[in-house]
Amino acid sequence: MRPTSPNQLIGMLQINRIVEYLPDLWNGLSMTMGLYLFALFLGLGLGIVLAIGRHYGGPIVSRISTAYIEFMRGTPLLAQILAITTLPLALNLDTSWRIILQDIFGTPRITVDITILLCAITLGLNSGAYQAEYFRGSMASISGGQTLAAKSIGMTKRQEIRHIALPQSLRRAIPAWSNEAVYLPKYTTVAYFVGVPDLFSAAKLAAGRTFQSLTVYSLVAVIFLVLITAISWILSRIYNRVKIPGI
Amino acid sequence: MMTKVIEVKDVWKAYDTLEVLKGISFDVFEGEVKVVFGPSGSGKSTLLRVINMLTPPDKGEVLLRGQSLMDPQADLTKLRAHIGFVFQNFNLFAHLKAIDNVSIGPHLVLGKTKEEAHDIAFKALEKVRMNDWGHHYPAQLSGGQQQRIGIARSLAMNPDVILFDEPTSALDPELIGEVLQVMLDIAKEGTTMIVVTHELGFARAVADEMIFMDHGVIVETGTPQHFFQNPKSERAIDFLHKLEVLYGQAETDIES
Ligand SMILES: Nc1ncnc2c1ncn2[C@@H]1O[C@H](COP(=O)(O)OP(=O)(O)O)[C@@H](O)[C@H]1O
Ligand SMILES: [Mg+2]
Repeated sequence: MRPTSPNQLIGMLQINRIVEYLPDLWNGLSMTMGLYLFALFLGLGLGIVLAIGRHYGGPIVSRISTAYIEFMRGTPLLAQILAITTLPLALNLDTSWRIILQDIFGTPRITVDITILLCAITLGLNSGAYQAEYFRGSMASISGGQTLAAKSIGMTKRQEIRHIALPQSLRRAIPAWSNEAVYLPKYTTVAYFVGVPDLFSAAKLAAGRTFQSLTVYSLVAVIFLVLITAISWILSRIYNRVKIPGI
Repeated sequence: MMTKVIEVKDVWKAYDTLEVLKGISFDVFEGEVKVVFGPSGSGKSTLLRVINMLTPPDKGEVLLRGQSLMDPQADLTKLRAHIGFVFQNFNLFAHLKAIDNVSIGPHLVLGKTKEEAHDIAFKALEKVRMNDWGHHYPAQLSGGQQQRIGIARSLAMNPDVILFDEPTSALDPELIGEVLQVMLDIAKEGTTMIVVTHELGFARAVADEMIFMDHGVIVETGTPQHFFQNPKSERAIDFLHKLEVLYGQAETDIES
């Protein structure tokens, strides 16, 4: 057996040091998942409302929805996050609100504060604009004939949207919408820039302290990859379960 | 005294500069079957869409049992529920099983409970001989079957009149018979119908009156006998001749 060289020994010791940062990385991952799920579902609700507004709304509602969608998609997410998270300071509001809970390792940590909340909301507001476009695309693809048929049996427009158009367009939107669901975890990394302790910032900290950038970032990459693969898999299962038979 | 179910009074409709309907008037009485025919582009589909206000006319009026559909006070969605519509392309709700396609109207529009609506739908499916297919989705059915579901969807609303827009012209020839048969059945039960079709055999069997349209006007009206024996207008003679060449004689047998 070859003797272990001093360099390798130091390397191994350093890798062991990463272990010290595993709780941080775990909490970072939790934060990232929290931001992700919050933004995804806020964006889902908002996206459906915006898409309905843009596709079925009258001239005013449709223009407001369009303007919102174009603005959110047309400006950088980072700028939106920076603008919104500095809002309380700019308005001289109290920013001391926070919820501190013990993490699974028993250490008390800030779970939610104003910045984290605003960050999550902004991600949701932004994602909603992108999600709206996926839903709008699928709404436009429903045949006009079914709308006529719904009208002809005396359905109101509201009933037609609720019982005929939405059930079909939401199902149809799933494959395209999956893109947003899959890419959104990546976009949550902008939270790092406003000091939210997400996975990426935990990784940056661990990398800086242990000088094991490659290992740490590789680990983060693997985590994202697993996450994205799992999300794709779940969504394709859901789609296969709800898709309309025969189509 | 026969009651008028539908009155079409001097209806005009233009798309931009294209005059599609140029003063159409006729009445439809209780239990009557009217067959409307004429060359493609003559305005037949537009006429049917005007009758239930899917396309409001520019001028003129449509009355349903004496009540104007143009009346700003009228609740159009309510009135429309009394007028069935069967489409050339079926237009079934793709995400609903056959039975749900039929029961959704009674449930949502007529306010029946789910169970009542289901019973109504089942009876309507029996009428179109599709009661064994209730749990299939539209995409799992043949065109003829889909159209029969389309007819059942209208029947389930128990409408005052059903409008048919070329209900068999999107079908493969071998599927036309089953749909015509169902239409014959419901016509004989006394359903009031306005049918745009070029199936002369159907017209001969059940039409009380035939209306020949061309270029947005009614050119000639009469009984099937009138049209098959001595049509008056040059255009009707011409068109009927073309139809016979295309579809065969009016004698084309349908079980009656
Ligand atoms: N929504 C519409 N917009 C513009 N033109 C239309 C529209 N619907 C029908 N038309 C035109 O009106 C004319 C009559 O059409 P239609 O009523 O469908 O005739 P038919 O059913 O007798 O074939 C055609 O020239 C058609 O192109
Ligand atoms: Mg037509």
